Order: sequence, then structure tokens, then C-alpha cells
Amino acid sequence: MAAFAVAYLVQAWTIPLDPWSAEEVVNARTLPLGYGLGLLLVSLALLLKRNPIDASPGAHWPTLFLHCVAIAGFGMLIRFAGLWVATAALLLATLLIAGERRALVLLAAPVGTALTAWLLIAVVLDVYIHPGVWFS
Amino acid sequence: MWEGIVAGLTTALDPGNLAWVVAGCLAGTLIGMLPGLGPITAIALMIPVSYSLDPAAGLIMMAGVYYGAVFGGSTSSILINAPGVASTVATSFDGYPMARSGQAGRALALAAYASFAGGVVGAVALLLFASTLATLAKAFQSPEYTLILIFALSSIAAFADRGQVLRSLAAALVGLMLGTVGTDQSAGVQRFTFGRLDLTDGLSFVLIAMATFALAEAFRMVLAGDDDSPPTRFAHARLHPGDAKAVAPSVGRSSVLGFLVGVLPGAGATLASFFAYDMQRRFRRGDDADGARGIAAPESANNAACTGSFVPLLTLGIPGSGTTAVLLGVMLSYGVQPGPRLLEAEPAMFWGVIVSMFIGNAVLLALNLPLIPYISRLVYLRRRVLVPFVIVFSLLGVYLTSLNSFDVYLMLAFALAGLALRLGGFPLAPLLLGFILSGMLEENLRRTVLLADGSWTFLLDRPVALALAALCVLVWLAPLKRLLAVRSAPA
Repeated sequence: MAAFAVAYLVQAWTIPLDPWSAEEVVNARTLPLGYGLGLLLVSLALLLKRNPIDASPGAHWPTLFLHCVAIAGFGMLIRFAGLWVATAALLLATLLIAGERRALVLLAAPVGTALTAWLLIAVVLDVYIHPGVWFS
Repeated sequence: MWEGIVAGLTTALDPGNLAWVVAGCLAGTLIGMLPGLGPITAIALMIPVSYSLDPAAGLIMMAGVYYGAVFGGSTSSILINAPGVASTVATSFDGYPMARSGQAGRALALAAYASFAGGVVGAVALLLFASTLATLAKAFQSPEYTLILIFALSSIAAFADRGQVLRSLAAALVGLMLGTVGTDQSAGVQRFTFGRLDLTDGLSFVLIAMATFALAEAFRMVLAGDDDSPPTRFAHARLHPGDAKAVAPSVGRSSVLGFLVGVLPGAGATLASFFAYDMQRRFRRGDDADGARGIAAPESANNAACTGSFVPLLTLGIPGSGTTAVLLGVMLSYGVQPGPRLLEAEPAMFWGVIVSMFIGNAVLLALNLPLIPYISRLVYLRRRVLVPFVIVFSLLGVYLTSLNSFDVYLMLAFALAGLALRLGGFPLAPLLLGFILSGMLEENLRRTVLLADGSWTFLLDRPVALALAALCVLVWLAPLKRLLAVRSAPA
């Protein structure tokens, strides 16, 4: 938290100001500098209090990492396969990562969700969604 | 006022809007019931749906989602002792033991009736006070708004849980900082955009809300792993004879208390439910062996507080809680500016939302009593199914509002940061509140300084501003007093 406050303060200090703004009591830098300083002070006070982090040893960190990879993959796949295919793929991947093994759920949930979302958004609400590089 | 109420009644009773109240209550109950998901997550997940509606219908639906989710949260508190939100923790104190003793249906019926009573008392109070306060608020200018915003932010620390003052402050400051990302509205300079066009308009509140609540909560569930709570089966949700008479006084007191606490910025439903639970224990010490009043008091208080939190939102345009901060974001995205002018500019919407609260509470009761034995099975939904759906819906919600895949990565980063904050014990509602209030605070402060020409003596000419400044000082002193009391207490 303190490191974030320092990084923010450094960035706040580099906010460009024109000569007129620089003379103002409250300019584009004032509040960011105030917030950054405030957070730095609060983080230092928290450091002094030594607050433990609730990270239990049994936590499923590898599973979380896999979920993050799946989400990042979703972000990339949208561009190529379009939103609906990417949504189905993400749901399938996250279900598998979470430990779901029932074939019916693995098939019906992604296809059903993507199809329902497509019907609602693209057909009923008539929102244009780019089909993706592969399908356009 | 009466013309407004009639207009509101017409809006709320429109068949389309009625259908959205029912849909909102049902969706809110179902999402709020899922362990770990509370009203903020429920509202955030419903934002994409709200975009397809007109402003009145969207806000009416969102209000339904709000109190539906609060009630849904009490179901998971009572059945599996897993409160989705802090405001239903007090319900679990007596509700879970009652469910374990084979009276789950009774406990849920008590919660449903008490929520209904609290919601109705809150809606009556809102109906009575909203127009008066909105009329008074018309005299407010930038100095008053600046001080109200400072008061709202300061209250976060004053009303924070024991040992959470610094963490709440830190979270609010992070929210304020995130609110400064983008183009500065006055000078037009870029702040914290790192040269990326995607950030010039600032961070979207949908993204922050979804990332810090829905996705971060899903990540927390992933870390915790699957759970196997044995299901509690019950055939119906009914009160025992004499329950209504026994809990009525407690419900009345708690509803009024809940509304008043809900109006205070930063206090909200959590504080209201704990106050009400504590109050009923003090009033009838030793006379609530089965815990009926212990369920009814916090439930009526938290629902009344939810309604109370609409007072500052609708009349001043200032959210007093994380949930109303998200609702403010929804209103702004519709181009609706809540505040004193809303009553004049959009009377049908203003009153429609208030009147729909009566309807919503009645719908909630009518839906929940017969359906709760069936829909409560959702509480036992395995995390391995729940988590993927929360992940997909939150990402879909954010992507559909921007159609920009950069937001997916940004959301992932914020969700991980949100998870880290959660693991560090930081409450995230103040972060959301700070984020929403950031722009308003900066804009009003700049105008105030311009008006005052750099001098603070203007406060002496503005009695309301002076009173608000005094309130801010009092609020700052509250945590200090608590700290001193703890230090001076004998070990």
C-alpha cells in the first residue's frame, strides 16, 4: 500500500501544469498529491500496527492462477473468435479449472450461456458485436 | 407532493415497470442468496440488463435488486451461517442456531416479515422526508456540497468497524485516487493515463464495481476451495403462533432506528443491523430465548437502512454507501443527475422509485414466503459451478459496456488488487464510495475555492456550510475518542 502511494505520488508530481494552473490554489495536481500523501501516512500507520494478511496455507493459488490465465485468454480470444465463442470457451475453461467433470454441465452450460447472451444482446437488443477476425 | 406521488404511482404501476420490480426482487434475492455475493455484486451484475431499459424502469428494477439482495443475504446467513454481506451478520447470530434446531422455515419467515416491515417503514419515512429535504437542498451550492462530500468520506472512518478505521480510510483514499485517472475536467490535462487512449475517459465505475466485488469475490471463493455444507430441508416458511405479537415492538423500534442510521453517510445497513440487535438485547434482556427478536430486529433495521440510504442519494445526489454509489453510477450513465433538481426535472422517476419500494417490499414478501423452500437450495450451489458463472457474467457485463478487450485485462488487474485488499482485511465498499465521490469532490472544491477567492471566511456567511464543517470536525473526533477510550481502558 505504501509502495502504491509512493508510485502514485511520483506520477502525481509529473502531471503537466500550464503557468496559469500552476498559480491556482487547487489545480490538477493538488488533490492527487493530497490523496497520495494521505495514503502514504495511513499505510505507514498500518505498517506500525502490523496487520496480518489472511492468506491461509491451504489456499488454492494454482487454481487461481489458472483462472487468471483463462481470463487473459478470453481477452485475446474475443479479438479472433468474437465475444460469443470466447464466452463459451471461458465458461468451459473455468468450469474445468474449478473441478467440474460432468459432461452434460460442461457442454450445456457454455453453449447455453453463450447462446442466451447472443439472443438477448445481439438479437433482442440489436447491439452490434464484432464477430471476430476469424468469422468476419 | 401529492401530484408527485400520483405520478410516481402511475410510473410504478405501469405493467412493464411492475414486471421489472418483480424481476429485480427475484434476481436480487437469488444473487444475494449465493454465499459471498451481496447487494453491490447483485447490482453490478445487473448493470448490463439495466442499460436496455428506460431510466425509470432501470432504477425501479435496481431498487428491487437492492432489497432483494439484502433479503437473499439473510437466507444464506440463516441456513448456512455464511452472510453474503456484513449487514446480515447480525441475523446469523440467532438465525443460524434457530435453523440448526429444525426451525429454518420459521427463521426465514421471521426474516421475511421483518424485512417487509422495515422496508415499508423506511419507504413511508422516505416518502415524507424526501421532498422536504430536496426542497431544502436547493439552497446548497458548491461549498455545502464540498463539505457534505467531506462529511460522507469522513463518516467512513467514524462508522468503521472496530479496528477497521485505518483500513477503511486507506480503501477510501485508494478509491479517490482511482477517481483521478483520466482527463482532468478543468485543465484538460491527462492524469495517470500512461499515454493510453483507453484511459483518457477515466476508469469506468462498472469495471471497478465488477472487479472489486464480483470478480474479486469469485477469486476469494477459488482460494477457499469447494465447501460441502449439508443442506437444511424445510417444507414451508411460516411463523409460530404469537411470533408476530412478540416481535412487533422490536421490529417497530428497529425499523425507525434503521432508517435514521441509513440516512447517515457511511453508516448504512451493517451498522443499523448491529445497533438494532444490540438494542433489542438491552430492551428485553433474557426474554428472547428462541431468538425470534434477534432475527427480526436486525432484519427490519437493515431493510429500513437500505431505504434510508436513498435519502442522500435522491435528494443531494450523494451516495452514503457502496451500494448507493453503484446506483449513482447507474443513474449518471442514464444521464440522470440525482439531487435537489431531480424532483423538478424528473418527478415521475423520483416518486416512481420511492413508490416502487412499497410494491417491491410487497413483491418480496409474496415471492419469498411460498418460494423460499425451493429457491433456498441455491445456497448449496457448489462453488465449482458458481465461480465460473460469476467470472463469466462479470466479464461479460464489463465488456458489453465498453466493447473494449483492454477492459478485460484491466478488470483482471483490479480484481487481483481487490483480492489482495480483501486478504489484507480492507473493506472495499469505502473504495467504491471514494471512487464515485472523487470527481464530485474535486469539481465542487475547485468551484468553492474560486468563489471564496482562496479565503475560508466565506464559511461565516454560509450557516449551513458552517454547520457541516462543524459536523465534519465532530466526525473526525469520533475515531480519536474511541482510540483514547481503548487506550485508557484497564487491561
